[in-house]
Amino acid sequence: MILDLERFQTQAGPRWSSLESLLVAIEGRPDRRLNPMEAEQLQELYAQTAVDLNRVTHGALAPELRQYLERLVARAYAELHYVPPTRSELWQPRRWLRIFTLFPETFRRQSRYFALAVLITVLGCALGGLAVHYDPAAVDVLLPANYLRNPVQRVHEEEQGKNQDRHSTLSEAAFSAQLIRHNLEVAMLAAALGVTFGIGTALLLFENGVLLGAVAVRYTQQGFGLFMSAWLLPHGVFEIPSILIAGQAGFYLARVLLHRREDRDVRQSIREWLVLIAGTAMMLVWAGVMEAFFSQHHEPVLPYWFKVAVGGGELALLTVYLLLIGRRKTDAEADNKLPAENK
Amino acid sequence: MKDSQPTRWATTAELTIATPEGVLFRLPLAGPSSRLYAMLLDIAIVLGTVNGIGLLIHRIFAKAPGFGVMVITLAEFAIGFAYGALLEGFWNGQTIGKRLFHLRVIDQSGLPLRIEQAWVRNLMRVFDALPFAYLVGGLSVLSNPQMRRFGDRVAGTLVIRQAPLVAPGEEFWTRQKYNSFMDYPTIAIKLRRAATPELASLIQDALRRRNELASYARREIYRELAAYLQTEISPFPDELVEMLSDEQYLINAAGVLFGDQRLSKAYR
Repeated sequence: MILDLERFQTQAGPRWSSLESLLVAIEGRPDRRLNPMEAEQLQELYAQTAVDLNRVTHGALAPELRQYLERLVARAYAELHYVPPTRSELWQPRRWLRIFTLFPETFRRQSRYFALAVLITVLGCALGGLAVHYDPAAVDVLLPANYLRNPVQRVHEEEQGKNQDRHSTLSEAAFSAQLIRHNLEVAMLAAALGVTFGIGTALLLFENGVLLGAVAVRYTQQGFGLFMSAWLLPHGVFEIPSILIAGQAGFYLARVLLHRREDRDVRQSIREWLVLIAGTAMMLVWAGVMEAFFSQHHEPVLPYWFKVAVGGGELALLTVYLLLIGRRKTDAEADNKLPAENK
Repeated sequence: MKDSQPTRWATTAELTIATPEGVLFRLPLAGPSSRLYAMLLDIAIVLGTVNGIGLLIHRIFAKAPGFGVMVITLAEFAIGFAYGALLEGFWNGQTIGKRLFHLRVIDQSGLPLRIEQAWVRNLMRVFDALPFAYLVGGLSVLSNPQMRRFGDRVAGTLVIRQAPLVAPGEEFWTRQKYNSFMDYPTIAIKLRRAATPELASLIQDALRRRNELASYARREIYRELAAYLQTEISPFPDELVEMLSDEQYLINAAGVLFGDQRLSKAYR
């Protein structure tokens, strides 16, 4: 032991106590902001304590003192280098509402991953559809639920109102919540499976596509194409794209993780991933409401053409929203960037 | 920009951070068991909260139970994710369970975690919880040197242990008036040079926990430690050792290791 620990502790102890009380004061504040005097004092005490830590590490056998100083230094380091969001930044409603423009902007910026999600789903659809088309017995394997396998029975039950018990406003509300929750779980899983380098996301989208293709061909084959469109479109035009966007988030996450070392702005990428999930969640809430309150009503209550038209209208609105909202701003930003890059 | 990023590397139980200013410090990583206990406590809190809210909502929506079910279903789902994300994001990286078990989530560079990191690591639970009972997350923690589940890997976060620490006081063995080992400076120096920090901590801990140990356990531990030091590290003369109890042997050894650096009064 090179260091005279007793003398050292007597000399340095007061500055450790000052640093500790300063840290307790700062950590107790909700916004953790420092005034200039505190910042200066913290910087000075941090530097001195770091030197003390270095002396204890190399000059004394005092594991507990070392641990204590390490903790102090770590806390001071965190306070000096961390810029917390201010309270005004956090509680600005306008800031939260920005999600409505950020979502389509992010969607367009990362559209190639959306294209990949669409491609995989279409491949799944094609496989499911072709399998049922050429081998009707394949429905037993491809479609898990009995009601999906027997369109005749299902359409009859729906049109006769046998599921009327579900059609009261109260049970529709509960049904809607269950749908929203289930769809959100699937979407979040698709986005999170990006951590498997996108393989899990691809498998989930492909399976979804197979199911969709098989149902579509099965119902169309048996002459219920219009019923199916009227049944699925009002909520499907939001539900299916939202799962595709969740897949887009999954593939984007895979890309971020694969290029983590080269990517200098991982923080921004992760934020974009969160924005895509938040957008998906908003879409799925709407899809759940539509599925429970609107899609389950059939002729004669609601004419099929009307339901299809509503679905078409929703799709048009969604397309406009995703492709056009925030575009002017994005273009302006791009224009501003170009000359800077050329300089 | 990249040069100013802190570098880090991990050992089995700690993460060493080298700051841009050249300061080096270690952070103790949280083990899987304490994380599991904290998580179970958090799950219990969430379930309790959801059920409490559920009862309240059932009363409010007594005439419209469907709406009640809707609110509960969505609240349960939202609270499940938001509990961890909001508490960790706004409460210094801690949920109630983590605070009670002295755990804290931080950024992998040693800084407090940001709100979006808290959301990412909590949303990633849908993957870590697969296929049941957090098997994927558990295996990820066990297989990763920094004990990170997939949510932590994506969010760039770590869970550390943060037990309350106080500045260590002085131990009585550093202030002995007379230490017979000091009369044999060559052997005492050998002890200092050969004892690893781990061995020194072990001796110190054994002495400190004297009153917590059952007498037979204490005797056995002290005997083993003293025998090890005497045979493997620092063979003090038999005539001296025979006069000392195992406990006194360890007190003297601790005095040599942690005490005044001046070895023998004869040297002054």
